[in-house]
Amino acid sequence: MKESTDIYVILSEASYVNLYLVRFNSYGIIFAIWDLSNFEHMKYLFSFFAIGLFLSLTSCIEIIDDLSINEDGSGTFKYTVNISSSKVKLNSYLALDSLDGKRVPSLDEIKGYVDDVIVSLKGQEGISNLTIESNYSDFIFKLKLDFNSVENLQAAIKAVAQENSKKRYLEELNHNWLNYADGSLARSIPKMNIQRAKNLSGEEKKLLKEGTYTSITRFAKEVDHCDNSNAVLAKNKKAVMVRTDAYSLSQKTQLLDNTIYLKAGGGE
Amino acid sequence: MKVLSTLFFTALVTSAFAQKSEALVPKDAISVFSINNVNVLQKISMDDLVKYQFMEEVQQELFDGSTSGRTLKDSGVDFDQRINFFQGNGKRFNVSGFTLGISDREKFFQVFDDYEKMESGYAGVDFYESYFNRIAIRGNSAIVFRVEPSFYEIEEMTDSIWYARGNDYRYYDDWDYWDEEEAVRELEIELQEAIEEMETDEEGFNEFEEYESEENTNNPIEDGTEIVADENPYEKTYWELRDSVEMVFQADCIKRLCDELFVDNESLMSEDSRFKEQVAHTSDGIFFMDNSRNIANENYMDYMRMIYPSFVQNIDELYEDNLLLGDINIHDNSVDVDMKMGYGEDLGEIYTEMTDTKFDKTVLKYIPEDNGGFFTYTVNMRKAYETTYAYMLPMLSESEGPVSLSAITLELFDEFVNKDAVFDLYQGNVFGTYNGVKTIKTKKIIFEYDEETFEYTEQEVEAEEEMPVFTFGFSTKRNDIPERILERVARVYPKLQNKGDYWVFEDGVLNTAPLFFILKNDLFIVTNDDDLARNHSNGYGSLALNKKTAKAAKKSGMMYAKVNTDRAIQDLPARMFSDYENELLDVIRGKSGNLVMSSAKATKRNTDFKLSYQFNGEGTDAGTYILDLINSLYVISK
Repeated sequence: MKESTDIYVILSEASYVNLYLVRFNSYGIIFAIWDLSNFEHMKYLFSFFAIGLFLSLTSCIEIIDDLSINEDGSGTFKYTVNISSSKVKLNSYLALDSLDGKRVPSLDEIKGYVDDVIVSLKGQEGISNLTIESNYSDFIFKLKLDFNSVENLQAAIKAVAQENSKKRYLEELNHNWLNYADGSLARSIPKMNIQRAKNLSGEEKKLLKEGTYTSITRFAKEVDHCDNSNAVLAKNKKAVMVRTDAYSLSQKTQLLDNTIYLKAGGGE
Repeated sequence: MKVLSTLFFTALVTSAFAQKSEALVPKDAISVFSINNVNVLQKISMDDLVKYQFMEEVQQELFDGSTSGRTLKDSGVDFDQRINFFQGNGKRFNVSGFTLGISDREKFFQVFDDYEKMESGYAGVDFYESYFNRIAIRGNSAIVFRVEPSFYEIEEMTDSIWYARGNDYRYYDDWDYWDEEEAVRELEIELQEAIEEMETDEEGFNEFEEYESEENTNNPIEDGTEIVADENPYEKTYWELRDSVEMVFQADCIKRLCDELFVDNESLMSEDSRFKEQVAHTSDGIFFMDNSRNIANENYMDYMRMIYPSFVQNIDELYEDNLLLGDINIHDNSVDVDMKMGYGEDLGEIYTEMTDTKFDKTVLKYIPEDNGGFFTYTVNMRKAYETTYAYMLPMLSESEGPVSLSAITLELFDEFVNKDAVFDLYQGNVFGTYNGVKTIKTKKIIFEYDEETFEYTEQEVEAEEEMPVFTFGFSTKRNDIPERILERVARVYPKLQNKGDYWVFEDGVLNTAPLFFILKNDLFIVTNDDDLARNHSNGYGSLALNKKTAKAAKKSGMMYAKVNTDRAIQDLPARMFSDYENELLDVIRGKSGNLVMSSAKATKRNTDFKLSYQFNGEGTDAGTYILDLINSLYVISK
């Protein structure tokens, strides 16, 4: 179980960081935190120099949602979140106790949350070969799993979302985002991922506009055509890409909606 | 005889009525902010006034629209009297509020329209009450106040009655069903719902209208209809009992406070000559903070006093006469605050020794003229340690129980630690600068797509980010110690490198930007300023601080700080500061100018500080400056 080992290592690392931060906060003396055997972690201690790093954002989040469907309806789902261009901001946040009056979760807690999602997904029917690569230096997270059918994938995502909703009713879970039948795939993205983006400041809007959401759908067969006018067909005609910026998506969630029609008998 | 007694009574009443608003400040007040030049407040709108923190306890009733469009001038306030904002945390109760002069009661109660007249038990004093607060008016002066009894006393009395009545543990019913995880989940959900509700409010929901429409108009209760309780109303729950105790205590505290003010004629003016003297100053505003009472009244000190009486007595003596007095003066383009921090002789001895040192002028070479803000701090750490040691050791040794054991730790530390090395390494001369926001090179990951298949691969590319630049350093005679440490660490961690004039720790700042160490000229400097490390490791030379400012920093006692508010405070986003820090910084936000703070050398009884805010004179009027300043001082004193 590679991901479990990774997380264990990351958690161990994070506990060192927390230990140092506590010491730093307690004594306020830089020299109290020198620990020669773990000098690497000292960089976190200079959070003094991180003050105001929130100014420094030049771009935002990048999401790649990559769905490959085999001829029998099974497939692979890859979900990549790249926040490397915001890593300074994220590190700055993590160095703080609270932000805008709200508590900032520790790296441990974030990792724990990711771990919970993995455990939840693993237990879902029709889901296999789940892996997650977490790069906490550049803040890049890659989830990859195989599914027996798009229905299994959808049910798994709904189950995990419900599990993490703290027992709240999620209306969006009544909606289906994937429908693969009769040589076509209709897909959209769950609104619950983006509906919170309504009450944003001007600066946050600007940053969201610099973020991207890329939706890629791959097939074993060639694509005949699709509904979304912004969609681009790969040269091999077996993949369709739709891309938009995160702010536009937050304002119009249908931007990535697409129904893709496959060529009858179009093959390898 | 009758004539004499009439004359005496008349004289007494006249004398009481002739007293100004400051005579109504209760003797329990620990912090008082008094505005003498009330004329500067004439243009202040009541809406703006009630937003300040120092109005928080008495302001609830004023948010119902009664202040809308009014200034203090339209509110019946007498501008020939001071306005005094006060708060105090006594052992039995907390009191807060303000006193002021009233020129027109009718106008005054158009603003304070939630107050209703109540029976007064005091001759010549009219009383008004609202749900939370009271107003008492004697002659042309009024006190608006709130009293909150001590939580601990309420709880103690409630527990006493509760258990005396044969009740079980007060949380008994809750305890069996307590599920911490469930409770946390419920709390999170409630919090989320509250946030969403607030967001709905912000989108135009009018709470006041909603409240109005919630009146029970469909099924009005007929007059005289008896409301029947489900359970015996005479058997109170713990929380109902506590509410009753609180009400009784509150009434008792209010009576005590009013008796003192209106029967015994005891106020802070009559009981504390230091306040009386301070109020007599002709400056535009004054403040008074009696920290010794703040310390003595801390609830945990009661517990300590019980367990370690002699230790706490020593602490009380140490902080005796701990007092902060200040004068605020408004000029055309500046607000000057002169502060005098008073203390007892024991603390004075420590401070005097601590500040008996020479300013290290080498630090000035490392402060660029083009800075956004800087500070210097000069103390003699060795003398401070030795004086504190000499004072603390007998104090700890003579204390009771475990406290006396800490004397052993102190003695062992003193015996075994190489004090020469410690205090030669860190002597106590510190400086820091904020050099503005600079662009730094960083790296980020992007994904490149193959047009044939839309497969994608990671690419590391250069990126630029803006980062505030700070420098922090201190004087040292032992740069060989950090040098040795850096050398050994560099052998293990290649990211730390000796570049000759400086050391660099690649990605040392949050895994992104380099951090530099400069060990030169008997200074140890840490900075993320690439330019300082690479080009000015021996100082900025002609680009260093101008002579006038450098001289002012050299001449100051313990500390000197100068902040360019346009470059420093405005640059740094509010979200990076805590609520407390933001409340302090609000005094500067939105204004343009320089904030300079300096101190004189400490004497055995006090140290003088001077805070000067030189502004460009645009936008904000003097009244706002003074209220902002008072608000920050109030936040500090809380």
